[in-house]
Amino acid sequence: MLEKFKDETFLSRWANDELSPEELMEFKKHPDYDNYIKIIAATDTLLLRDYDVENALSKIKSRSNHLDSSPKITKPIRKLWPYISVAASILLIIGLFIFNNKTIKHTTNYGETKTVVLPDGSEMILNAKSFATYDKDWNNDRIVNLIGEAYFKVRKGSEFSVKTTNGVVTVLGTQFNVESQNEMFEVVCYEGKVSVKTNDNKHILTPGKAFRSIANTLNKKWDENINEPTWIHNSSSFQSVPLKYVLEELEEQYNLTINNKTLDLTIIYTGTFPNDNINVALKTVFSTLDVNYVLSNDGKILDIK
Amino acid sequence: MSLQSDNNQTICDEHAFDNFFKGYAKSLRNHLYYKFGDLDQAEDIVQEAFIKVWDNCSKIPVGKAKSYLYTVAVNLGTSLMRHNQVKFKYKNYITRRKSDMTNESPEFLLLEKEYMEKIKRAIASLPDRQREVYLLSRIEKKTYREIAEMSNVSIKAIEKLMHKALIKMRKEIGNV
Repeated sequence: MLEKFKDETFLSRWANDELSPEELMEFKKHPDYDNYIKIIAATDTLLLRDYDVENALSKIKSRSNHLDSSPKITKPIRKLWPYISVAASILLIIGLFIFNNKTIKHTTNYGETKTVVLPDGSEMILNAKSFATYDKDWNNDRIVNLIGEAYFKVRKGSEFSVKTTNGVVTVLGTQFNVESQNEMFEVVCYEGKVSVKTNDNKHILTPGKAFRSIANTLNKKWDENINEPTWIHNSSSFQSVPLKYVLEELEEQYNLTINNKTLDLTIIYTGTFPNDNINVALKTVFSTLDVNYVLSNDGKILDIK
Repeated sequence: MSLQSDNNQTICDEHAFDNFFKGYAKSLRNHLYYKFGDLDQAEDIVQEAFIKVWDNCSKIPVGKAKSYLYTVAVNLGTSLMRHNQVKFKYKNYITRRKSDMTNESPEFLLLEKEYMEKIKRAIASLPDRQREVYLLSRIEKKTYREIAEMSNVSIKAIEKLMHKALIKMRKEIGNV
């Protein structure tokens, strides 16, 4: 009873005021609700011993032999611009999360996909555990903010952009797939012409070309020989991807927690697994790696041996 | 040629370094404490790490300075930890906000004091990663996204740790 919760992030979402009103109502009936309230309230009154920053800085200066002498290199010109660029990127990220009532939001859950017709008639198919927003009034700028993965069929017209935290994808009229999970960013062009702009690079993709960057490094371009992303037909496929992302996709498609202590997550994996049959999916991924695993009876936890 | 072409500003300028220190020293120090459990040691590590940044300043572009600082500091902490396993210490380190002490009756204050001791003991008993996430979230007011980015894992992983931490806290505190 004590540990019965809807899912294994329930309390963290509660602590962050992210539960839906229904979930919160239900939790209020939980015998431990008051105890959890008290624990959080008490923790929130805690404070660390004060830190005297000026004093600490002067200590460093007295210890370091160069610091009180003249600095090694001075470049007085344009010193401010890195700070300005940092400020600008923070604004961009915040911008993605501030919504007014003119903003339309679409969210998908584990193993779910959703087809959305955008204001100009373009089509967006969201893959599992993804989140997209755009303005209700779409006049000239066609912009979608995306976290996760989606496939776009864009009507011909003015510039169409997909913004992610990893970069911006811009096109005129085409079909393409964007995936932006944490530090992984992948774009595949199926038709037309796509421009991909990351923090430090710009790439033009023509049909059949794909681009990927991981944590803004490890950039790679390759040829993709299919006409549509495989997940549209209920399967997930990977082309030379670190295993870490394959396991994350399994977790997202099947609402699974994978306990892994032994498996090297940097192994490069190429393959496809179905999104509607967990046993086949697990067999497909792990038998090729020669790895044993145990799935819990409720199908929620996977232990890798 | 490890420098990024688009960013060859460094923090070798003393004024820039001062600002860098003032911007990050405190949150680094707190983070190291949550991670390794000793606030005095954390403050020592902060000194060492910033001195290392200064010594290598010409090789570190401004944009990379923060992650360099954190990497150096965490490595220092980890190697210190390997030599002497410290338990999470909280005496004299964690206090209560003054404004929360109201003019309640002495019995109430005593009860509250006992409860706060329990809370601190429970925090100390959390597994390392859970405690780090729990304190970064509740005391440092970091979002799960920020914590995830700091440790290079998914937001979901952080949310799971936070959930587990709360369950563990509940168990440790028992019925009051």
